[in-house]
Amino acid sequence: MSEKKRIRVLIAKVGLDGHDVGARVIARGLLDAGMEVIYTGLRRRPDQVVRAAIEEDVDWIGVSILSGAHGTLLPQLRKLLDEQGAHDIRIMAGGVIPQEDIPVLKSAGVDRVFLSGTPISEVVDYLMQETAHA
Amino acid sequence: MSKVSKLDPEEVEIPTRLSVVEPRNDRIAAEQARWLQETYGKEVAERGERMPFVTDCGIDVRPLYTPADLRGRLDYCRDLGFPGEYPYTRGSEPGMYRVEPFVISAYSGFGDAEICNRRFRHLLELGAEQILVANDLPTQCGYDSDHEMAAAEVGQVGVAIDTLADMELLFDGIPVNTVKRVGTLCNSLGPVALALYAALGEKQGIDWSRYTVNLQNDPLKEYIARGTQILPPGPAARLAVDAVEWCAAHAPNWSPMTVCVNHINSGGAGSTKGSAIALANAIHYIELLLKRGCSIDAVAPLIHMFPDERHDFFVTVANLRALRRIWARLMKERYGASNPDAMRLRTTVYGHGQEALAEPLNNIARTAFGTLAYALGGASYIYIASYDEAVSTPGLDSIRVALRTQEIIAYEHGFSATIDPLGGSYFVEHLTNEIEDGILATLRELDEAGGALQVIERGIGRRIMTEGAVRRQRAIDSGDRPWITVNKWPEKPNVPNTAFRVDPASIERQLARLARVKAERDEKRVRAALAEIDRACAEDRNVVPATLEAVRAYATIGEICDSWRARFGSFVPSTDF
Repeated sequence: MSEKKRIRVLIAKVGLDGHDVGARVIARGLLDAGMEVIYTGLRRRPDQVVRAAIEEDVDWIGVSILSGAHGTLLPQLRKLLDEQGAHDIRIMAGGVIPQEDIPVLKSAGVDRVFLSGTPISEVVDYLMQETAHA
Repeated sequence: MSKVSKLDPEEVEIPTRLSVVEPRNDRIAAEQARWLQETYGKEVAERGERMPFVTDCGIDVRPLYTPADLRGRLDYCRDLGFPGEYPYTRGSEPGMYRVEPFVISAYSGFGDAEICNRRFRHLLELGAEQILVANDLPTQCGYDSDHEMAAAEVGQVGVAIDTLADMELLFDGIPVNTVKRVGTLCNSLGPVALALYAALGEKQGIDWSRYTVNLQNDPLKEYIARGTQILPPGPAARLAVDAVEWCAAHAPNWSPMTVCVNHINSGGAGSTKGSAIALANAIHYIELLLKRGCSIDAVAPLIHMFPDERHDFFVTVANLRALRRIWARLMKERYGASNPDAMRLRTTVYGHGQEALAEPLNNIARTAFGTLAYALGGASYIYIASYDEAVSTPGLDSIRVALRTQEIIAYEHGFSATIDPLGGSYFVEHLTNEIEDGILATLRELDEAGGALQVIERGIGRRIMTEGAVRRQRAIDSGDRPWITVNKWPEKPNVPNTAFRVDPASIERQLARLARVKAERDEKRVRAALAEIDRACAEDRNVVPATLEAVRAYATIGEICDSWRARFGSFVPSTDF
């Protein structure tokens, strides 16, 4: 068996957006690809997501966001992680995010934005490539 | 034969089975089998079929349908009948679109009431006949605009409403009786939303009998699909039917509950299983009402459904026809309804296709076909998605196209010249039968599992949905379900920078208005009304009268929902996936 540690991902819904099918499909897809996946359930505050991510010692937080609140909630998530010293936990986001917001989010510490409709395999490949211990 | 040719009505035997008599059916079946093997089979053996032809709801579509496919499965008078008559398969109204086309409806909202009012005026100028207010998520989840959870979401996906003052502004210059229906989703806010629209009529001096309020008010599906739930499901359903019970007594012309398939289907369940889940929810609401002593004939006419199918055109038509038939029989056979209005299912639908993020103008074609299918299925109230709706709140240009598309379907091409034009199509009748069987089979399973609350609590609904969503994703990833610009002629998806953004000034206005209303209102009256809501909750009395008083006193939606939360507790989010 491989000695490699499995990639651990926390799939999160922050804010009030209740559309979580995309989040759950991604969660299943990553699980099928051999990763360890935890789902927060709906309507979490950024501080709750950060606490769960640290307690669960994940490599990635994957945030699904469709309500237009990404510009506020995602940078807040990064800031809270950094304040807790969890610089190694990385963030990816999925949803409907306008092109011009993507560089802004990247400079605010979001590693990657996947638009709705991205094949799951693309997300899996990205995480395999980008996770140091994978 | 000679007697028949005289066309003496006494002598002509009217066949009760669709178009054919039994013996010829056998010959058709034999001929169909022969054609399938020899003629069709020969070409397919040489050239193959393009792809698997399976509907999204899981039906294998055969190459051809004939009368033989309906054999023993269709009795015209029993199963189809006539428009406006039991079992309503061919239409809910006698004259259907020949008398009045489907109601051209707009679902809209963003920012605060002031800016949104201007949008509504535009929509009415463009020909919208009904307005369903899209509320922002804080409103739908029962948080005021100044609540911590609301911070980034005020006015984002809909208009922010905190108090009656916002409603007054939202409908400033739009008397509620000048539209065919007015209302909102607010699935978890039933009695509050109802009270706001009732108090709005009072403010405008328009009697409740002179306008029609439509609410979605279907909290149970939120736990499965859409996620704006506030309370645990039991109390949520109880509050929802308070709104129905109150209307039956005070505003029987309103439609205070629309039981939804749409979010459940679009989330992955598929239209057949989604319809069954929605029917299980409807049954739960109806049985709560009957337990209170309401009569089925009084409450069923107030309950509408919101069917949904976005993938397969003919399935859309058949699904609506099947649902009307199922509803009619359910009301008559299970609940003993005798009022035709209780058996006649009115439907609201939202014209969609599989809209893509790439090349959004193509979505005009997709939503037009989706909407046409609903019209051919005989929907009562039709909304349509704008071509940029997959990206953000639609702009005026795209809304104009959307409304015009509805108008074209209602008035051009002769689409509404005859009633149920696809009725009698071997394919559509076969699909209608198959879909009816499928819905009833799943409904039996859900009944056996304990009904709607168990479907939620045991995660059955969410499981059906996630499995369907995974299956859909695989069909797209593998190319089995072609999707132009996504898996066929793929283009890079793009969310343009022109995507709609809410003017921050309108958010500031909303917060300022909320603060002003709270400062100026009669605080004692508000507290007394909130205390009465709590007593009504505790004593299992209908909460609408107390809620109406609270709303008139300018209590906020958040305050009213807090009183519910204090009494019933909050929902527990599921972490299953």
